[in-house]
Amino acid sequence: MNLEKLLYDAYGYTEFRPGQKQVIEQVLSGRDVLALLPTGMGKSLCYQLPGKVLPGAIVIVSPLLSLMQDQVAQLKKMGEKSVVAINSFMKAEDREKVWNTLSHYKFIFVAPEMLVQPFVLDKLKALGISLLVADEAHCISQWGFDFRPDYLRIAEVLPKLGNPQTLALTATATDKVTHEIKQYLKLSNPFIYAHPMDRQNISYDIRKFENDSDKLKAFLEIVAEYGGPGIIYAGTRRKSQELAEKLLALGIRAAFYHGGMEQQDRIFVQQQFANKELEWVCATNAFGMGVHIPDIRHVIHFQLPSSIEGYVQEVGRAGRDNLPSLATLLYAAGDERLVESLIMDELPERHEIELIYQRKEEAKQLVDQGMIRETAYRIISYWRERLPLEGTLNQIEQLKKEKQRQAASVRGLVHSSGCIRRYLSASFDQENPIVPPNCCSFHGIDHRLFKDRQRLSEAPSQGGWKERLEVLLPI
Amino acid sequence: MRFDEVVLAIMKAVDGQRTVSSPYHLIKGKKSGQTIQDIGYFGLHPYFAVLPKLDKKDYLDSIERLRAQGLLVPDDNSIQLHQSAIELQLPTTPLNGWKYRGNERRFFSRLSLIVQTMSNFMQDHKRFDPVVTDEAVQSWTKSYLHRIDFRSPEVQAVFKLQIESSLALAKTAEMHKDILMARLSGYGIGGLTWDQLAAKHQLLPIDVKIAAVEALHAWLDVLEGMEYPLLTGLLEGIIQQSALTESAKRTQNLYERGFSLSQIAELRQLKTSTIEDHFVELAMNDPAFSPASFMEDELFESIRRISKEMKTKRLRDIKERLPDASYFQIRLALAVRGEAI
Repeated sequence: MNLEKLLYDAYGYTEFRPGQKQVIEQVLSGRDVLALLPTGMGKSLCYQLPGKVLPGAIVIVSPLLSLMQDQVAQLKKMGEKSVVAINSFMKAEDREKVWNTLSHYKFIFVAPEMLVQPFVLDKLKALGISLLVADEAHCISQWGFDFRPDYLRIAEVLPKLGNPQTLALTATATDKVTHEIKQYLKLSNPFIYAHPMDRQNISYDIRKFENDSDKLKAFLEIVAEYGGPGIIYAGTRRKSQELAEKLLALGIRAAFYHGGMEQQDRIFVQQQFANKELEWVCATNAFGMGVHIPDIRHVIHFQLPSSIEGYVQEVGRAGRDNLPSLATLLYAAGDERLVESLIMDELPERHEIELIYQRKEEAKQLVDQGMIRETAYRIISYWRERLPLEGTLNQIEQLKKEKQRQAASVRGLVHSSGCIRRYLSASFDQENPIVPPNCCSFHGIDHRLFKDRQRLSEAPSQGGWKERLEVLLPI
Repeated sequence: MRFDEVVLAIMKAVDGQRTVSSPYHLIKGKKSGQTIQDIGYFGLHPYFAVLPKLDKKDYLDSIERLRAQGLLVPDDNSIQLHQSAIELQLPTTPLNGWKYRGNERRFFSRLSLIVQTMSNFMQDHKRFDPVVTDEAVQSWTKSYLHRIDFRSPEVQAVFKLQIESSLALAKTAEMHKDILMARLSGYGIGGLTWDQLAAKHQLLPIDVKIAAVEALHAWLDVLEGMEYPLLTGLLEGIIQQSALTESAKRTQNLYERGFSLSQIAELRQLKTSTIEDHFVELAMNDPAFSPASFMEDELFESIRRISKEMKTKRLRDIKERLPDASYFQIRLALAVRGEAI
């Protein structure tokens, strides 16, 4: 089969991106595949194109609602019409409609919590699945930075679906996580494609300061001097807002973005950024998904990331066009305390675990009453069905150790002396990468490369609604 | 109107008779019996469901401001306005919440998607990320666009002209219209967030949200009254035919078929108190509703008379004078339309 021709006929592209062809070939040969592809490398094509050839449905299990919605939107944008997403937020009548017409769809996105319902399983079984795609497969790792307990249940339903051929996709996985994915998804003799996660066009700069005010001062200088388009990651919602206000006060075109904003406003900020109406977005880690902008030149971390995996994902949003881009991490003495408290706050506490074991199903109400946190409830409910109290306490203790390891590895990023690129690759058990020019602050960066870029023109005139209508609908 | 003025307007109507949190439920559009009956008692129709997603914190901040200005006297039980608030003149408002029930947002979502689509197509861009992600709105808009032949330059021109001429007629401040239109996106131009609009107009984010709703209600009023063939198409399913909530409508149907209150509760597997709420809602909205099957004429008259004499709609005050009446009977009697009480 001529894959290039298929690619061109289906989507009008003339060539594959690195890794896509190897993965697709193996999928079409019927093998289980585990593909580690960095974000932005066109992971979804790895199941889209096989969908053009395979007879049955492609079922994609996606752990995050927002991610699922984004992928559905992207598929539709590419002209793919037979796409549907099934999640627990759908209205009953809409879901009913989908069930009755399920066989019309080629690409079926399912949230993990839906996949385990017997009714859903029956529907899917009757359909005939050609390929099961586990997207963001690293979420299956209970030690990972993104653990979703519901995701582990995929393993439990696979036999009920007749063990279909499986494609596991992830952007970030250490050897340990890769091993877990293979084990939980029961991948038999899988083809593993691991794209080097190192991004040669990104220069890593780490700057350290004695205190917060020095850091802030340097931050404002950097933003003014280097220009965007860029993302500034802050550790908290409040901080993202504060930083945006400071930049706005300096006449820099910036906006903030975080999960506490209503969805419409979040879409507006994404659009403004894509339109180059904004130079900087000050954001929490909620910003990223659904942002498909190839020419982000600079990613600044104003605060320490909470994991190396998260850091690599966030930094990886820069320079998708392969042109030189800069990643700046700002550190002030003591910053690790915030990260450690954020990381540890996520863990279920002993009293929460005990409460959930006592109340069993009724514990859900305690979430509504604010006695137990939602994430804690999710994780513990999963274990409660499988382990006695002692076992779960033990699990959480292990998890805590793993989190501490994560925190240590973030500390290492700022405190170990040496090549930053090498440190990042080593965190993912990858071989030492080639040191490119302008590699990192250890090897030296020629900052002239990144300064004095063309600045955004002034904001459009402050006209009234009639003028705006004129701009929106120019006739 | 600013948000604080909306809160004050509600408080002025219910002063001394309702708790400080009752305006919150009204603005959010809570469909409880208490909230819905208050709309009729106190004439609060404009403010129902004007901000369905109102954050509790935004509301409490407003209460803080009103207290700091001395307009609201701190009181744990009920709203106590200061004389200065009672005398304060509030601006008139085009808000008409009871009529639109938050559905105006759906109208605007449809409009946003249509404008974005036309804007992109006019400038030769056929692929873009839709500004509205709601699938129901997307599929409605898709079929609407095909119906009106949106690619035709004539249709685009007429569509734009209808927006311009109808919005010009809307009886609300120009600034409100500016705010509303700034929420539309097009090719190369993204809508502005509430925070951006607040900074631009030097208002609070919650104030620009109210301004946008005022502009929408004023605009919808124009669209409904006149013929704008392309735009009136967007009103499909937006304006409620019946003033009743869906659930109350079902209760009404059963009642009209001869079932009693308790039978309806049984049939619908709902609490009696819920069904009672429905009857209060019916009484408020249906001028022909008769309370005769729930109380003697004599009791009905007594409740109305006492409420009038004591100048109160507080159930407890009336119950003290008429211990034999149930709370439901009092609520129902107060809700029945007819001469103002």
